[in-house]
Amino acid sequence: MQKLAPSLLVAAVAIGLTGCGQQERQDAKVTVNKDPYPSTYQPLPAAKTLITNATVLTGTGERIDNADVLFADGKVVSVGQSLSDADATVIDAKGKWLTPGIIDVHSHLGVYPSPSVESHADGNEMTAPVTAEVWSEHSVWPQDPGFQAARAGGVTTLQILPGSANLIGGRGVTLRNVPGHTMQSMKFPNAPYGLKMACGENPKRVYGSRTEAPQTRMGNMAGYREAWHLATEYKRAWDKYEADYAAGLNPEAPERNVQLDTLKGVLDGEILIHNHCYKAEEMAMMIDLGKEFNYHAGTFHHAVEAYKIADLLADNGNCAAMWPDWWGFKMEAYDMVLENVAIVDAMKNSCAVVHSDSSSTIQRLNQEAGKVLYRAQDAGFELTEQDAIVWITSNAAKSLGIEDVTGSLETGKKADVVLWNMNPFSVYAQAEQVFVDGAKVYDRFDPKYQAKSDFLLGQP
Amino acid sequence: MTMFKKSLLALALAPSLAAFSSLAASLAITNAKVYSATEQGVLEGATVIVDNGVISAINPASVEADQVVDAKGKVLTPGFIGSMNQLGLVEVGAVANSRDARDKKADITFDASLAFNPKTSVIPYTRKGGITTNVSVPQGGDSIFKGQAFVTELTGDFDSVIATDKAVIVSLGAKSKGSRAMDLQNLIDELESAEKAHSKMAKSQSSKKADKKKSSESDKEPSKKEQLMAKVITGQLPVIVYADRAIDLVQLIKLKDKFGINLVIAGAEDGAVVADKLAKAEIPVIINPISNLPGGFDSLHNSLKNAELLTSAGVKIALTVGGDTHNLYQLRYNAGNAVANGLTKEQAIAAISANVADIFGLDTGRVAVGQKADLVLWSADPLDLNSHVEQMWISGQEYGTESRQDALRKRYTADTDMPRAYTK
Repeated sequence: MQKLAPSLLVAAVAIGLTGCGQQERQDAKVTVNKDPYPSTYQPLPAAKTLITNATVLTGTGERIDNADVLFADGKVVSVGQSLSDADATVIDAKGKWLTPGIIDVHSHLGVYPSPSVESHADGNEMTAPVTAEVWSEHSVWPQDPGFQAARAGGVTTLQILPGSANLIGGRGVTLRNVPGHTMQSMKFPNAPYGLKMACGENPKRVYGSRTEAPQTRMGNMAGYREAWHLATEYKRAWDKYEADYAAGLNPEAPERNVQLDTLKGVLDGEILIHNHCYKAEEMAMMIDLGKEFNYHAGTFHHAVEAYKIADLLADNGNCAAMWPDWWGFKMEAYDMVLENVAIVDAMKNSCAVVHSDSSSTIQRLNQEAGKVLYRAQDAGFELTEQDAIVWITSNAAKSLGIEDVTGSLETGKKADVVLWNMNPFSVYAQAEQVFVDGAKVYDRFDPKYQAKSDFLLGQP
Repeated sequence: MTMFKKSLLALALAPSLAAFSSLAASLAITNAKVYSATEQGVLEGATVIVDNGVISAINPASVEADQVVDAKGKVLTPGFIGSMNQLGLVEVGAVANSRDARDKKADITFDASLAFNPKTSVIPYTRKGGITTNVSVPQGGDSIFKGQAFVTELTGDFDSVIATDKAVIVSLGAKSKGSRAMDLQNLIDELESAEKAHSKMAKSQSSKKADKKKSSESDKEPSKKEQLMAKVITGQLPVIVYADRAIDLVQLIKLKDKFGINLVIAGAEDGAVVADKLAKAEIPVIINPISNLPGGFDSLHNSLKNAELLTSAGVKIALTVGGDTHNLYQLRYNAGNAVANGLTKEQAIAAISANVADIFGLDTGRVAVGQKADLVLWSADPLDLNSHVEQMWISGQEYGTESRQDALRKRYTADTDMPRAYTK
């Protein structure tokens, strides 16, 4: 996990430099605050909890039957059999299943919320093909009733991305799926930002139809390359400033550019790429584009043709975040196969993720993964439940750069936990209880733990 | 994490689902767990006999058939029936010249069945969902009347349109421009005109009997629109109205009372609020059971309980799939989700078979003597994710579930040193 630098106010950490050998007096160092809208998230009140006799899918590829999970102070204490703790609240989960909290790497909750009225269309800044300066967190409406619906589906963490109208659409933000009335109170502490990019039909249609660039796929590539070229120059200027300052000189700081700040964050390895990209040939080029400009091409989203380049993705360490079965709504989604996720997953060092991009299916990512599991089994893949859960937990965490702290039930990790009434890959499965940082945030049978948006409150 | 990594070579050996066998003159499916979608409920260990494309007997004293399929206790259901989608009218959603469901000038007479493409790649794929019959609906144009529904079998054959003029589609409710009142007023005006025309025709027919010389104007052949509206006003042709807000549904109930139309409501996201009124008015409702968010101010009370709340109030429901027609194969999963939220399995199966047939007047959707032999044999629970179609029959003819998606999978998992384009 790449942690962002702690919050620093823009400008000025003065360093006293009066010692001998100093040739010129240094002005206060100019520093860019990388966390100006810091998380204020606090876990909900939590009790030490022991869940017993469950079928546990750890998210690390393991399944443990008749297992117990103990969590306290927001963290998993132990996963095993015959655990006991005199102080813990005990939940008997006989016949039930326990998994890590579900993580959706691709959501527009809050930026394209319900109700989907014009006033709420805050996900695509369709005013220029490169808008790296916009941040999805600045659009998030915390009262989107979709957050609660997703929580009832076991989603504990989700990345909110800008839309795909632009070549570079802006920053994505990772949220804890807890009720809050500010974005900051939901913001996942220390999670890296994402940067949304988009291949293919959307950018060229949006701008091409205005007779603006890009109008073609080659125009798309030219647009990315120009942006990364400018970012490279910007980074070079800042790196030189930093080096000169460190050497005791008194350089003039480069002019600040908030668009290029974000792209520089990618080049510095602090911001992770999330690239809407369906087609094999485009993903292959985006991998090379990253190499051309010295950044990692990150996660390919939708990736309907990922199965055609599964080896390339694995070799280059790219995650692919996919639907089980969406297709045909546009040309670049025509070559869907129901085993796409399984084919990507079958490679060594792969990172297959099942995502939603939908306020509806985010509520059923367990079923989405189940569709892949069973269709792949039908086609001869040797996959099991303990494999399928990885696509919506630990691999998703890896894609978001938070795998060190969540995404699996391992000692020391965040106690993000879902208790299911049965095998979660059944159409009949329901999340009964959902925990974030060890605190219960949803209970299917207890209205006390069923949050309701301001928007829906008191509606006649 | 490494134990399941396996060579793609093995995948090429995976069994493919068998396709097609020729039409046997008679077929017996024995030892099946039959979800009949009738009052008979679930029949364990049952035998279903098919003769000439029609179910001719269930549990006969002796089994004589050209072909016998031992179901080995597995589930047999009626073929499921999709509705309210654009199957055969859209190949790729965003490709304008592959779309035929809309036309700006479309009105009530719009018959999109003339554009139906039985060779769309969506049909073999949709058979994976056990769907044997579909009601496609046009999306029309500026008029509130979107056109006429038509019925197809999912054979992919050139003669697969089996009925046209099965319902008239009307869209009401929230508008981004103008008032919904204008649309409702428009519908009322059309119904009033049709009612007047109908009573005038009835009068002129009785007066013609008295005076055979009278001719000219009253003998003029009514226009296609007038003919359709006459069928609407006499209740012969169902009117499917899209509406969600509870008061809009109440307005529609009044229209049914006033004009006696055969009204069906589609959408009905806030329908549970007026479930009792819908039940009393005997208005069937077609819903997407997994739609639960307040997409707008017409659906603030939308929930996953809608299917159960409507059903328990006594409303006949049919289930459908929201959004893109390419997702139609998920119909059975939507039914499964309705079970997870309160329907019984039998109710849910009926809501994607018998109830749809009843709404559109189709002779399919039940495993019953005299019904068209549209049948699906499942590997496991048909509503759950872990099952697949083992065999399916449309009018007694067996069809496979292999689709273009399978061809692509096989190409990209084959063991070859040559470019994939050579793997066919």
